[in-house]
Amino acid sequence: MADPRVNGRAAAEVDAVVVGAGPAGSAAAWALARAGKSVVLLERGPFPGSKNLYGGVVYGRILDEIVPRWWEEVPVQRWVVRRSTMVMTATQALTVDFRTQAWGRPPYNGMTVYRADFDRWLAGKAVEAGATLVTSTVATGLLRDEAGRIAGVRTDRPDGDLRARIVIACDGVNSFLAKEARLLPRTNPEHLTLGVKEVLALPREVIDERFGLRGDEGLDIEILGCTGDIPGGGFLYTNGDTVSVGVVLSLAHLGKAGKRPEEVIAGLKAHPAIAPYLRGATLKEYGAHLIPEGGYNHMPALYTDGMLVAGDAAGMCLAAGIWLEGVNFAIGSGLAAGRAAAKALDAGDLSASGLSVYQRELEKGFVLANHERLRGAPDLVLSERVQRRYPGLVADLVEGMFTVTDPKPKPGLLALLRRAARRNDVKLRHLLADGLRGGRVFR
Amino acid sequence: MSKAGSGSAGPVIVVCLRPADPAARVDPVSGHVDRDPGMLGLPPAEAAALEYGLRVAEAWSGRVLAVTAGDASADEVLRQVAALGVEVLRVPWHAADEEYVADLAADERALAAALAAAIRKATGPDGPALVLTGDRSADRGTGALPAYLAHELGAAQALGLVGLEATGDHLVAERRLDGGRRERLRVPRPAVCSVEAAGVRLRRAGLPGLLAAASAQVPVAAAAPAGGPQVTVGRARPFRPRARVVPPPAGASARERLLRLTGVLDTHEPPTVIGPVDAAEAADALLDFLRRTGHLEAQDAADAAAR
Repeated sequence: MADPRVNGRAAAEVDAVVVGAGPAGSAAAWALARAGKSVVLLERGPFPGSKNLYGGVVYGRILDEIVPRWWEEVPVQRWVVRRSTMVMTATQALTVDFRTQAWGRPPYNGMTVYRADFDRWLAGKAVEAGATLVTSTVATGLLRDEAGRIAGVRTDRPDGDLRARIVIACDGVNSFLAKEARLLPRTNPEHLTLGVKEVLALPREVIDERFGLRGDEGLDIEILGCTGDIPGGGFLYTNGDTVSVGVVLSLAHLGKAGKRPEEVIAGLKAHPAIAPYLRGATLKEYGAHLIPEGGYNHMPALYTDGMLVAGDAAGMCLAAGIWLEGVNFAIGSGLAAGRAAAKALDAGDLSASGLSVYQRELEKGFVLANHERLRGAPDLVLSERVQRRYPGLVADLVEGMFTVTDPKPKPGLLALLRRAARRNDVKLRHLLADGLRGGRVFR
Repeated sequence: MSKAGSGSAGPVIVVCLRPADPAARVDPVSGHVDRDPGMLGLPPAEAAALEYGLRVAEAWSGRVLAVTAGDASADEVLRQVAALGVEVLRVPWHAADEEYVADLAADERALAAALAAAIRKATGPDGPALVLTGDRSADRGTGALPAYLAHELGAAQALGLVGLEATGDHLVAERRLDGGRRERLRVPRPAVCSVEAAGVRLRRAGLPGLLAAASAQVPVAAAAPAGGPQVTVGRARPFRPRARVVPPPAGASARERLLRLTGVLDTHEPPTVIGPVDAAEAADALLDFLRRTGHLEAQDAADAAAR
């Protein structure tokens, strides 16, 4: 290794430093440690997961690579056996509800977790593999060697320079390291959403009864049309003895609307289709977090000389309406980053060219393949028509279908569609165009 | 960062730490405590004790030894402490964390004896110059351990301090008093001091120290000396004292018995108003009253015998 002095100061030395002990960072550190590299995993919170906010489902297949039979030890809240998609207006709700008991058995499909537990567990796997976890430590900037190449990170600890041959930035949606390396452009609110979540406590047996569950079975409801004038969506997930309910709002539109996010959640909780689920619940936790929903078209460059970017820092959150996934993409990208870094370390080529293997790994796997295939989804899903007009159209159409008009003759479906489109200010040509666009996006 | 490392030949400052889970869950019915070993950390008072220990060690050119009693789950916290340049030692101690009753039975006297034995062995014939602890451990501590430790080590004690400073070869401690006042204590060596979580904040360990300590082995003291707890706890149940049996009131009628019970017919000395008088006369009146009621008979007899 080269001179251990960086910027004229002595520094500790390791093969790799991973910044951020979220799912991406822990997966990257695990892969590097498994490859026999010395790796330090830096976490700004007092423990991994302490700074995270997540009210979602973690899909487990990617964990097969890290822990065989992971389901026997993962800190799960409930295994999701019901998946519902709800389209709502202020007074109507249409639910497509799917249930399969197969998802409630090994090898399981998805689970609800508390991120504070899950992240700590995953970081523990990296530590077991040989990574060194350093908590309560903020990476404040990049170190560069005399030639200007990235050579580690500076931290807020005394004597806190940590020299590393490669840096993997997994420091979240607003990655300061990626920005400093000029990989991540200035924050653009158009590509960000704000996730706002409440955790509401209900006795376990009440959750089981209201949501039709038993044992460790869980439900995941994704909601369209619950955010009023602000493009976005909602969600409701069951945990052991709590329910996570919240909304995901377009950041740019939220700013323009002048509305507080908790008002939007209050509206969702008061909706006739949601309120009965939550009756008597007490608020335990409230929080908000930025989500990178720009998709493939707005991902930053993923590598540069001596540095890789993974997880939310690389915008690897899939918001494609039907699929809403982030943690499994973070783990997938972290694993790819760790493996690519290990290969580059073995080859002794830590230049951008040597690290381009990371991009190829991601393209071969599900992470970039899915993002690329669904690159048009975020724009379509967050469009004004899909968010604000189509929920009303669909609800009116279904209401018309199910309303019995006897003794008047039953109207035809096309007539009902025309009426619903007229009521919701949707032109049929727009509906057709969006249908074709959706067909292309989700082909 | 303190360089009170193991190479220093100065006095030894021992800091007794008890890592605790700040979010431990307690079953309100059974008293069962559910702790997460991964969440163990230093409570604020223990962190303050450690910082005071580091400061005193710097002033005396001494070294700091952090001791904790517990199982291997405490090692992670001790590694973080070791990153501050502190020697660490774990005394194997299987505290009965799981059950409230067993935890009560494992009284602090036995714990203090085990800690004192380990401290004596680790600090050699000179013993520790100062032992510091938090004023009470965060998880159901009674605050009695520092006093027991002082007894075991034959040291002076100053408890519940909010400030501690090494001045020359002794210590000046500060303690809260009622009414917002403070008292300053001159504490000789050796001493056991407990501190509140006030006045100081534990310094941050440097990154090289953290990395070096991350994989370090935590030394474990020899097994604690045998000696059962002094407290015997039976079944835990609410305190319900037996009813006191009193003789029934005398009286032929219910009215008479009620009068007897309420004592309205008994003779009472009526309240006496003395004064206005000066202080000496008031004291004489008070002494007369105490003699009249028999409270000073023994003292008077003793005074007469002395004369």
